[in-house]
Amino acid sequence: MNLLLFVLKRFLRLLLTILIISTIIFFVIRVIPGDPALVVAGIDASDEEIQAIRAKLGTDAPVTVQYARWMRDLVRLDLGTSLTSGQSVKALIRQRFPLTFTLAVLGIILGVIIAIPLGVLSAVHRWSLWDYLGMVYSQAGMAIPSFWLGIILLLLFSVKFPIFPLFGSDSLKNLVLPAIALGFARAAVILRLTRASMVDELSKEYIITARAKGLTEKMINYKHALKNALIPVVTVTGIQFGYMLGGAIIIEQVFSLPGLGRLFLYAIYQRDFPLIQGGVVFIAVIFSLTNFIVDIFYSVLNPKIRIS
Amino acid sequence: MKKLLKAGFVLIILLAVTGVLFAAGAKETKPLNFSLSGNPDTLDPQATSGTLTFQVDKSIYDTLAEPNEKGVIVPALAESWDVSDDSLQWTFHLRKGVKFHNGDTLTSADVKATFERITDEKTASPNKKAFDVISSIDTPDDLTVIFTLSKPFAPFLGSIASGWGAILPKSLIDAGHDFDSQPVGTGPYKMTEWIRDSKVVLDKNPDYWMKGYPKLDKVIMNIIPEASVQIQGLISGQLDIVYMVGKDDLPLLEKSDDIKIVKNLTSLIMVMAINCSQPPFDDLRVRQALNYAIDKQKVLDTAYSGGKVIGTFMDYGNAYYKDFTDLYPYNPEKAKQLLKEAGVGNDVEIKMYLPQNYPPHVKAGEIYQEMLTKVGLNVKIQMVDWSTWIGDVYRKSKFDLTVIGHTGKLDPNGTLSGYGNGKYVQWYNDEAAALIEKAAVTMGYENRKAIYDKVLEIMAKEVPFVYLGSSYRTQGIRKNVKGFRMTPNLDTFDFRWTEFIDE
Repeated sequence: MNLLLFVLKRFLRLLLTILIISTIIFFVIRVIPGDPALVVAGIDASDEEIQAIRAKLGTDAPVTVQYARWMRDLVRLDLGTSLTSGQSVKALIRQRFPLTFTLAVLGIILGVIIAIPLGVLSAVHRWSLWDYLGMVYSQAGMAIPSFWLGIILLLLFSVKFPIFPLFGSDSLKNLVLPAIALGFARAAVILRLTRASMVDELSKEYIITARAKGLTEKMINYKHALKNALIPVVTVTGIQFGYMLGGAIIIEQVFSLPGLGRLFLYAIYQRDFPLIQGGVVFIAVIFSLTNFIVDIFYSVLNPKIRIS
Repeated sequence: MKKLLKAGFVLIILLAVTGVLFAAGAKETKPLNFSLSGNPDTLDPQATSGTLTFQVDKSIYDTLAEPNEKGVIVPALAESWDVSDDSLQWTFHLRKGVKFHNGDTLTSADVKATFERITDEKTASPNKKAFDVISSIDTPDDLTVIFTLSKPFAPFLGSIASGWGAILPKSLIDAGHDFDSQPVGTGPYKMTEWIRDSKVVLDKNPDYWMKGYPKLDKVIMNIIPEASVQIQGLISGQLDIVYMVGKDDLPLLEKSDDIKIVKNLTSLIMVMAINCSQPPFDDLRVRQALNYAIDKQKVLDTAYSGGKVIGTFMDYGNAYYKDFTDLYPYNPEKAKQLLKEAGVGNDVEIKMYLPQNYPPHVKAGEIYQEMLTKVGLNVKIQMVDWSTWIGDVYRKSKFDLTVIGHTGKLDPNGTLSGYGNGKYVQWYNDEAAALIEKAAVTMGYENRKAIYDKVLEIMAKEVPFVYLGSSYRTQGIRKNVKGFRMTPNLDTFDFRWTEFIDE
């Protein structure tokens, strides 16, 4: 099957996903209690003032009309205007995305750098020191809350030894500690999977055949087994990366970073309908795109897996 | 020769530039790093009710009049004002030569345009009603503004002096300027940068009308949601002021030699509100029992950072406050007896709604629950998020009990308006309602105080709330900083007097 058709099919699937997701989110946030006009109005406003705010925000219209407007705008790639800040949702997302993206890339690179070599070594030299080290790490990585790790990193490297800033978002320096906190936990997940997948691969028949043919251990481990073992690892890493692109709420909170996570979190608190809707659609698109890229990676790793 | 001239010319320019740079460098004081725990949604003072907005806007905008350090309303953009004998005409005389950050000179036309904008339906301001009493605005000359009111209205001055009375430039109002993200006022600082959820940067307005102020060249408001990061920032000197320190963090600050801890009373009215319209709380004896059952000082000390106990619906430091704390002292036995008389036992399930985004209220709620259980009541706690609290609890009175703090107001009418006539506690009392309306159209402190005394007495006796108290606010300030003020009743930050002391 050719690539163009594949991309086209993927694109249509993405459109369908967005249609379904945007519809679900639209109704879900209107079913739960809470009215954005009341959040803007506060507790001292009169009924008349609240009505005026609803009219300005457009939430006084019937739900069907609001839904039609939302769909119409979506087709025009317009995500609307945030109710509480008066800024366009697209602009708000655009402001936050570079930071979130950089943080996610740094986090995933860090995670992969730690996890894959350690995972492979653990699998190849089972029950060796490497393996124990890997096990300890993956236990710790999954058990330690990133919130706690973040605070500890700040206390150590921003207060005790003030190498990195305690807060702010002006430079790449601000992202080093959060990337470590983020990558640490991700690495644990990727490490476990790499080890398991590698162990599984090494026990397969083609490896025995390779050994019988007299290939070196190095060749077997790193050329044959690793390549195949990485396929599930790439999938999970891709998903993790997708998650991080939606913002890492806890990390952003601890490190006072203006990322997408906090943007969407506060939007939910304030019932900022267009911002919640825009955020969900944005994340859906990001997920679909990362999945798409992961699929392409598969075919690079193993040409036998045809794009289909 | 030509070359030489050119070189000389370049040299002169270089010298001039470096000279300017050095001169500027020498004068500039270091920035003050302040911490905010949240991001203001908008900086348009007419578009929101959010406290954070007014806290930031206080440095960017001015009002015609403003509360001074003691809470007395004094001239600001208006040098003086007079009120006609029938209290219907308020004439404000503007200060001359005041400049907006965009270079415009303040005139009466700006004032008129500002109040026309906030009362315009399209602006949809949550504070519109504060100015609905204005029937016309006249500008006989550039420096005189006459507000004609439809009825005598004493709270008018309080509204003028509140954050939502901020004066905007007419030229930008007419141009449809984006005041949400680019505020332009006459205030001591102009906003030069705002990275949402990260920081607001304020630079000194060199043309500020108060000569010699503000003292600082730059204030950076760092938005830091995590309290422990704020505290560490203060201790390590990366922050200069943390304006609200939680109880648990105090010991850490006390250990540091570089930090002074400043405690002052807020204008908050902390309460446990009671839904008076439905059983069992429609019975006065049950509401009294709740008041007897609570050890108020203990709740204040445990959940909030201490404070002064109150016995009615007015903040402790207010000029209109009257003491009724003797009425229902802590007496669990009395509470049990009253509940017995009313026939209320633990077979009645009472639902207490707590706003989960305010940890001190949640903590207070848990203590209330414990104290009420001790007198034999069956209280169940239900956590709600803020929009649900406003929508269901506050607007629709879907609650039995709830815990909240009412913010201070410059005029007692702002605090009391609407009570006796329902409100969220569903408390109806015609006498109180009529008196509150009367006090609003009565002029003069003494006259109004007499009426409010009566209102507060009725509310103290009828107890639609368990009145808890006004809490302390604890600020942590680096010792080399002085002159940081918070505006009384409005709880906004005032950096005009703030400066670094040379070490």
